[in-house]
Amino acid sequence: MGPRRAWQRGGALSASVYMVGLLVVGGCSSVPARFMGKAIERMGDPILPVAEKTRHPVLAGTTLSVLWAGHATVLIQIQDKVFLTDPLLTRTAGMLSKRYIEPGLDPATLPRLDYTLISHMHFDHFSYGSLDMLPTDGSLLVPFGALAYTPDFDFREIQEMSPWQTLEEDGVRITAVPVQHFSGRYGVDIPWMRDRGYTGYVIEYAGVTVFIAGDTGYHPQLFKAIGEHFAIDLAILPIAPVEPRDFMRFAHVDPSEALQIFHDVDARYMVPMHHRTILQGFDPSDTYAVEQLQKCAEEEGIREKVVVLDIGERKEFFGGEVDRPARQ
Amino acid sequence: MTKKPFVLAFAVTLTVLTHGSVFAQAPESADKFRTWLPYQGVPSFTLYSGAPNTAFGFEWEITPLLYSFGMNKQISPWYSFIVEPPGRFTGSIELNLAVQVFTRKIGSSYFSLSGSLIGFIPLLERGEHLTLNLGVSMYRFGERSPLFGVLGVSTLFGIVHLNVKHSPAEKIWITSLEWRVF
Repeated sequence: MGPRRAWQRGGALSASVYMVGLLVVGGCSSVPARFMGKAIERMGDPILPVAEKTRHPVLAGTTLSVLWAGHATVLIQIQDKVFLTDPLLTRTAGMLSKRYIEPGLDPATLPRLDYTLISHMHFDHFSYGSLDMLPTDGSLLVPFGALAYTPDFDFREIQEMSPWQTLEEDGVRITAVPVQHFSGRYGVDIPWMRDRGYTGYVIEYAGVTVFIAGDTGYHPQLFKAIGEHFAIDLAILPIAPVEPRDFMRFAHVDPSEALQIFHDVDARYMVPMHHRTILQGFDPSDTYAVEQLQKCAEEEGIREKVVVLDIGERKEFFGGEVDRPARQ
Repeated sequence: MTKKPFVLAFAVTLTVLTHGSVFAQAPESADKFRTWLPYQGVPSFTLYSGAPNTAFGFEWEITPLLYSFGMNKQISPWYSFIVEPPGRFTGSIELNLAVQVFTRKIGSSYFSLSGSLIGFIPLLERGEHLTLNLGVSMYRFGERSPLFGVLGVSTLFGIVHLNVKHSPAEKIWITSLEWRVF
């Protein structure tokens, strides 16, 4: 082997080692890799119990009640109709992201469900194991593009909802509304799910209107348009993960942006969700987002409109503990 | 010479099915194909144990046809080449073809070809966390074409498969750690 060839070979080897080194260091310090490390670190943590979990999640008579079961799982009852959003009742989201605290809802106590709403296909929102725990006498609604990821569940009906599509049945109107997020389920499928597979929903029934954002980043035009279309009584909005902000900004609102959505859609009340339940970012503490939200709401003087629930806690609106104000 | 029909069938199947199915699906298919293609270059690992020796190898697999019985009935149960993971792990029967290259000669060649019919039975979380894999494989090593029984599991969203294949007639064991993305 001549000197030139030896140099070339050595150079190629050095370059290869350098490139592999860069990939390893870059890969290990990336947000997903750091997240994976943190998820593994917290695998052994105990799952905290919920102190007071109701045995009767569906009420005999209510105008509007909301029970936060943790993360984006919210049981909404409007008079006789029962809706559940993004059920996550398993020990982990996917296989890696473990719960900090058990679900605030025992699915065995659910007598029925009229509609189960899936906002997008990420593991923490579209949990196959959780859906298998639920009563199946109602309908399962999924966003456009999600049927390719929907197993043969036993629900009475499985329906895909395109943006601004409205389902009307038995006095219930459910409209899929656009939000700013991303979809895919396994990472590699993100490229062809850019414009599909995620949605928010607006439920209208018996004169009550509830907006559920699912996961979203802040997009003023989208939310102002939703506010112009509907007279929203209650907005159920995500507030976390907050950090690292540059990484999360596009797909996840922080508490101040969630409050801005609350103003944009012109809702009367807001219930925060998508916090405190599972590992999902690098917030300084599990309660960081909700503390920030309360601080922002206090500064804006709207503390009484932002109804913060504990996991497993239920709040009745308009005829329960909160009087229904006259709409302007 | 006897290898030719096997290789020809492999090539024709690949060409016809790729042309006929990949682009005939939804509008996002071109994006899907561009994403799918590079992942098919990532090899799985395989270990051959039997006569004439033990050899480590790399394997590349494709799925000309898969019938899924675990997905909702509003979508077609038939998949060809591009298989969204739930299509496979929620319960399916798959025909797959593979080529292997070994670090040592198995008979007269470093290469082998195989065709398998595998059933995926969901065990946990509709199969997303765990499936049982059962099936048969036929390998082509030089002049020999032994038949294997296949037993294995898949986990991590259907991406990682561990399969053990055994040919009692030829006393060969093949263990494969497979990486399946679509």
